[in-house]
Amino acid sequence: MTTTQTMEPTDPSLSKSGILERFSYDDQIVRMFLLATLVWALVAFLVGIIIAIELAFPAANLGIPYITFGRLRPLHTNAAIFAFAGNTIFAGVYYSTQRLCKARMYSDLLSKLHFWGWQLIIVSAAVTLPLGISQSKEYAELEWPVDIAIAVVWLGFFGGNFLMTLIKRRERHLYVALWFYIATIITVAMLHVFNNLVIPIFGGSLIKSYPIYAGVQDAFMQWWYGHNAVAFFLTTPFLGLMYYFMPKAADRPVFSYKLSIIHFWSLVFIYIWAGPHHLHYTALPEWASTLGMIFSVMLWMPSWGGMINGLLTLRGVWHKVTTDPVLKFFVVAVTFYGMSTFEGPLLSIKSVNMLSHYTDWTIAHVHAGTLGWNGFMAFGMMYYLLPRLFQTKLYSKKLAETHFWLGTIGILLYIIPIYVAGLTQGLMWRGMTEQGQLSYPDFVETVVRVIPMYWVRVIGGSCYMAGALLCAYNYYMTWRSRPATYDVPVHEAPALSKGYVDPPAPESRLKGVTELGHKADVWMQFKWHRKWERLPVRFSVWVLIAVGAASLFEIIPTFLIRSNVPTIATVTPYTPLELAGRDIYVSEGCYNCHSQMIRPLLAETIRYGEYSKPGEFVYDHPFQWGSRRIGPDLAREGGKQSHLWHVLHFQDPAQVTPGSIMPEYSWFEKKKLDFKSIPLRVNAMVILGVPYTQDEQDNAEALARAQAKLIAGEIVEQDGPTGLEDKEVVALIAYLQRLGTDIFKTPEPEDEAGADASGSQDEAAAGGGH
Amino acid sequence: MSDSPIQDELTGHEYDGITEYDNPIPGWWSWMFFGGIVFAVLYYMAYQLGTAGTSVAQAYDNAVTANLKLQFEEIGILTPDEPTILTYMQEENWVLFGQKTFEGNCVSCHGKEGVGLVGPNLTDDHYKNVKRLGDVATVIQKGAANGAMPAWQNRLHPNEIVMVSAYVASLRGQNKPGPRGEEGSVIDPWPAAPTE
Repeated sequence: MTTTQTMEPTDPSLSKSGILERFSYDDQIVRMFLLATLVWALVAFLVGIIIAIELAFPAANLGIPYITFGRLRPLHTNAAIFAFAGNTIFAGVYYSTQRLCKARMYSDLLSKLHFWGWQLIIVSAAVTLPLGISQSKEYAELEWPVDIAIAVVWLGFFGGNFLMTLIKRRERHLYVALWFYIATIITVAMLHVFNNLVIPIFGGSLIKSYPIYAGVQDAFMQWWYGHNAVAFFLTTPFLGLMYYFMPKAADRPVFSYKLSIIHFWSLVFIYIWAGPHHLHYTALPEWASTLGMIFSVMLWMPSWGGMINGLLTLRGVWHKVTTDPVLKFFVVAVTFYGMSTFEGPLLSIKSVNMLSHYTDWTIAHVHAGTLGWNGFMAFGMMYYLLPRLFQTKLYSKKLAETHFWLGTIGILLYIIPIYVAGLTQGLMWRGMTEQGQLSYPDFVETVVRVIPMYWVRVIGGSCYMAGALLCAYNYYMTWRSRPATYDVPVHEAPALSKGYVDPPAPESRLKGVTELGHKADVWMQFKWHRKWERLPVRFSVWVLIAVGAASLFEIIPTFLIRSNVPTIATVTPYTPLELAGRDIYVSEGCYNCHSQMIRPLLAETIRYGEYSKPGEFVYDHPFQWGSRRIGPDLAREGGKQSHLWHVLHFQDPAQVTPGSIMPEYSWFEKKKLDFKSIPLRVNAMVILGVPYTQDEQDNAEALARAQAKLIAGEIVEQDGPTGLEDKEVVALIAYLQRLGTDIFKTPEPEDEAGADASGSQDEAAAGGGH
Repeated sequence: MSDSPIQDELTGHEYDGITEYDNPIPGWWSWMFFGGIVFAVLYYMAYQLGTAGTSVAQAYDNAVTANLKLQFEEIGILTPDEPTILTYMQEENWVLFGQKTFEGNCVSCHGKEGVGLVGPNLTDDHYKNVKRLGDVATVIQKGAANGAMPAWQNRLHPNEIVMVSAYVASLRGQNKPGPRGEEGSVIDPWPAAPTE
């Protein structure tokens, strides 16, 4: 039995209410989350390796629709982020919060509901994503019923349990790790809710929704969310874990309390603005993109504040790093954190992003962060916790060391070839001859060139997973030597008394300055922050204000300024059949490989055609701009190929494009199109304000059938197969043939706004492919 | 945020055995942090509130103008008709130019060497929609066979249409075997090259 009793020297009221309370910690819930961490880590890595193989060797999906790259890639990202990193966070938060608050979690029931609710969400993701049930927004692919569950489990079970634990705590002040947990819980909830506002379609067995935002606005919201998922799911909670486990494992004081304060607040306030750097040179208004860039640059030092506070905590104990696998993992994790948070601002600079956007460079960057920072923090924490939770010795320190080296080599073998691949793509795409033409006009040349790099990545990923398997074995063997019953220590600490008096503000250290100077100096000593640290609700409100106000500064103008999205008169809603085809495109996850956003860059417009205008996407619920070009951009695909070409290309892309790594989609030609659901889709769009005519609303199915028959007939005329008029392939072709064609249409003459559109038409026609 | 040296004095805070030093924030960190803020303000002012000519759209327009000048300054803007195509068929560097355009846009149907795939073989004497040389450009501009051949007039510059027509016409007579065999009918030879 252990007794903890800490005197709070600055607490004069302690003597008055010094009644000791007895409590114990709930370590069982930590054991559960830790096991889930391990299991989902292996799943995420395995799916990662599968899709890595599919990129290098597309036939690897064996023609099975459920495991194509487009459907599995979201499963990989969701498993890595929300299952692996998520359970890591929960294990670490439940372990450390109880100890930092000297209190058991508020409710064991909420803890259990949180655990099982979260695992159920992950399982539902693993089922729905391969089935093609997807919102197509990166890291927010899960459909609306799962989204509701996430909101309830995250905010209700996890957030409620956590906040109540803070309120019932027996430690007067909140340690910096808890600040980061607060920021995580509040901001993730905010991001999740506002990026997932959708209109669900009810009817039949459909699990399907359309976001309330379209085009530019949808893209903006998505990357506000997407970037801050990185910030508040993969950064702030892991910094919290670092602030707890690093000084614990090193047995050293944290380097600087002041640095903790300033880097916490600057990180929380600045991060939230940075999202638009994912949309440089797109149809997003330029001012928003510029804001995204400058805030990313300003973010560099706030991020590094965490790194230096972590690394400098190890001053004096670096010799321990050579012998302790826990510290080894932590040191490399923090180093990768430092690298990634330098590279992030670098990539946000417009001229760098011009080269890196859509390439594998981003993928290398992300994996340095996730495998290096998140993965190694998780494994370091796991090796720290295993002996403590199972109350025995770690089975094998040597295996942990081997894991460390396999993991490190795995990361390097992953990221180095993918950096090379990314640069290769970027440079080949923009390469121009002396005559002013593209050096590599045929896109597939740039694909074939990087395939050897994709194979090296498979090796790197496998090394990393091999390390994780060693960890699993070590976990199992450690668990086997656990005691018959766990010792549950009872701790004692006094309840927090009311009537606490903060110590007086410090004196100014300056001489011969004005009153203002003295005030500034007192402020700079950060003693005022001490008061915030004992008021968790107020602290949470300040965090909410910091992230909420910053968000509103960007969101409100994006939605309200009309000039952000100039209308184009000839852009009209998709026909019912095209809409059905678009939904298949969304469901298959085509956006994972194909962008639909041509940037105003010469090499890009020569390759793909006139650059994309904001007004072209006003009916795109959701937007499909994508973030990568594993295949070519499709924004102006309409009319570029014949129907028959598309049919043959879906049958087997390599038969028309030798070297293509697109998997075959031969089932489009066999699967019947769900015509019955088309009126539901059209009506949902009408609710969102898409101007369908009364005829289109009333006769959506008949109109779709008529257009399908027309296209199927044209395919036959082009010597293609017969009988396609009720198959999915015609809907997809209808959609693809429509893409990017509206701005070239002749406007209705009586339409006043037509003048603008004809302007862009002339421009497009005169400029040709430029 | 002073630059005073690291003192390693404890704050007196203690949480589950974790203590904290009251060390100052490193000077270089502060300088770079505030430097970043200054940069951000200046950058925003220069690019969003600054003089005209810095916007992405303007930079792009300049690049297009420069590119058109680089490509076509010596020849001006051409009309894709028979005499023009015939003229440029004789100029090897412009046929190569047409070949690049062909590789970027046409190979997915006509094959890398023009031997046909989804579209017909362009290396033999049989043609489906072409009777005379000028028709090559017309088919490229307007498309043919109910959309089996797409229209390219919105996508390619008139000069690119001339050059790609010249390249396609130059493929005739190579008679490379393709997967589709001969299609359409044999047409008259192209007219003779104009004499200088």
